[in-house]
Amino acid sequence: MSQEKKSVGLYGFTGCNGDQLVIIHSEDQLLPFFDSANIKSFSLAKSDNDNSELDLAFVEGSISSQEQAEHVKAIRERTRYLVAIGNCACYGGIQAMELGAKGWDQRFRKVYGDGFFINRTPIESKPIDVFVNVDFYLPGCPIDARQFFYCFAHFLQDDEPVFPDYPVCAECRWRENDCLLLKGELCLGPLTAAGCGARCPSHNLTCLGCWGPMKEANIGAEFNLLKEKDYSLEEIKRRFRMHTGSGMMKPLKKLLGAL
Amino acid sequence: MREIVVEPLSRVEGEGGITVQLDGKRIKDVRFDILEGTRLIETLVVGKTPQEDVSIACRICAICTLSHRYAALRGLEKALGIEIPPKAHHMRSLMHLGECLESNSLHVFVLALPDFLGYPSAIAMAEKYGNEVTQALALKKFANHIMEVTSGRMIHGENPTIGGFGRYPDREVLLNIKKQARDFLEFAVYGTNLVAGLDIPSFFEKETVFMCCEPGNEFGLMGDSIRISTGEVVDCNDYKKLTNEKFCPHSAAKHCLYKGKPFTVGALARVNNLGERLKGQAGKLFKKHWNDRWLKNPIYNNHAQAVEIVWALEQIPGVVDDILKIKEDPALVKPARTEGEGVGAVEAPRGTLYHHYQIKDGLIADANFIIPTGQNLEDIEKYMRLAVQGMIDQGADDDAIRLQLEIICRAYDPCISCSTHMVRIERV
Ligand code: SF4
Repeated sequence: MSQEKKSVGLYGFTGCNGDQLVIIHSEDQLLPFFDSANIKSFSLAKSDNDNSELDLAFVEGSISSQEQAEHVKAIRERTRYLVAIGNCACYGGIQAMELGAKGWDQRFRKVYGDGFFINRTPIESKPIDVFVNVDFYLPGCPIDARQFFYCFAHFLQDDEPVFPDYPVCAECRWRENDCLLLKGELCLGPLTAAGCGARCPSHNLTCLGCWGPMKEANIGAEFNLLKEKDYSLEEIKRRFRMHTGSGMMKPLKKLLGAL
Repeated sequence: MREIVVEPLSRVEGEGGITVQLDGKRIKDVRFDILEGTRLIETLVVGKTPQEDVSIACRICAICTLSHRYAALRGLEKALGIEIPPKAHHMRSLMHLGECLESNSLHVFVLALPDFLGYPSAIAMAEKYGNEVTQALALKKFANHIMEVTSGRMIHGENPTIGGFGRYPDREVLLNIKKQARDFLEFAVYGTNLVAGLDIPSFFEKETVFMCCEPGNEFGLMGDSIRISTGEVVDCNDYKKLTNEKFCPHSAAKHCLYKGKPFTVGALARVNNLGERLKGQAGKLFKKHWNDRWLKNPIYNNHAQAVEIVWALEQIPGVVDDILKIKEDPALVKPARTEGEGVGAVEAPRGTLYHHYQIKDGLIADANFIIPTGQNLEDIEKYMRLAVQGMIDQGADDDAIRLQLEIICRAYDPCISCSTHMVRIERV
């Protein structure tokens, strides 16, 4: 029986481990989760981990050293599917805020001085698809447990999960919140992929974009609206790149280039 | 030369490893390697608004997300001249208790207990200790629920914000939390006795210094000064004197020393320094189980965490009442100024956490974070060294040494994501 179970590995690179913790925090699903597959590696949760062939690998965190880059490539080689979980893996996360190419060297020196590491060659944080092919992206900071288990169940059946392509705005309306953007606040709800259930707006707080951009986001419309509300380009850019680094900045740069 | 390596260290948060180098019977080196990648978060928050900082800084660590948020809020609100209303204060106490409960129960029952009972994971433990595992997971779930209710999400909730909370939870939800806290008490007491009954090896014992926030007259998780086991009390603004840092090439986290000596922070430090103040069941358990080995052996951190679980459960009903007594939900308090400086200190589950900010023109001009695990690194290495020496003298094999070191390291409940961010070079 156990032969038929799929082999699954969970890996964490640079980040806060929040996405793996979301899984550990799902107490009710945890025992069935360990039962429904051969969990070969999940070092946050257990100690008997190995490097065997996998059907499915979940990777959390961004890549911030050459060693990590090698490691993620090795995981890619021995897995059939590779799913990026969380913003750090999908977009590089807060640590890949795109503060400019030279900036990283300077910031690194500010923190670590001229110190060197005997066990690491640090590089600026990057999303994992810079190094390997990613089969599926599960964004969020952190991911949502229901979305994870839905995704997990689909891959166990060799099936690709389908997520709705609408913005946080839609979820916000279902919850009958007052629109914060109309009140003049810098809310990223219209651009951000749904999945969180509009958590922040439901607490009277603006959406920070922590699910990354939805596919068809109308960056231009939001940009113009914010300009009308007197937000400076600096402020808008700062907010756009805060949670998903290149995720929202790429389309914005394109737009600014076109303007 | 012989080298014993444990990498990656499992069941700790973040990526770390242990390296021991032996030359015959002589120890050449014992290192706790921090392999986690660098994120440079202190530099990322520069140029951001205080509001944005709170959202970035909490993402340093998923387990201590609310402690980071709390320390950031305290530092920033001091800098901005904000006094939060009492209801917001009680809510922050509740969220902080929730996190302490969550983190401690995760560590004691899910991460550490399997070691002592000889299992690779809590899941593997479930067959023989089904009831314990189920109850422990239920307790953790309850604690997560408190975090979700107060912060708006289980991890990285944005509800605790500059000047108060975006929204306050409903009365029924809070009353349910109060009830559940009472219901879990019995298991927590049982769990503490279970942990206290474990056989703890003594061959690496040695005195050390303990530090924690001084909460006033009671046991607690927050304060503006720091109590040291030597009897000194130091203002948290002088935190740098307590945490002199040095860079180690094997670690993305800098090590901290106090007067040139290693020290310990965390549950064990709190219980050793403040345990006499515990009341109720927690007080009884403290009196029953505490002895002076707790001052010398880091494994007792597990015991201290268990006692704190009982303490937190006993605190919750009163805090819920405090929140409910105030009917009106206060609006967010606006900053009184756009420039200033502030140090926020709180007890994260793993120990004292400092966030230090300078604000200019409404934006962060400089930030410094000192993280608990960074403060513990020197002591972790010290105890590992003692253990290795002891075990070589006993003629232990590599596997036994490896397991013992993992147990010591894990007892500190090291949070490696956190510790990579406390690093900073101060040039004089
Ligand atoms: S995406 Fe967010 S929750 Fe996940 S590792 Fe990165 S910071 Fe943590």
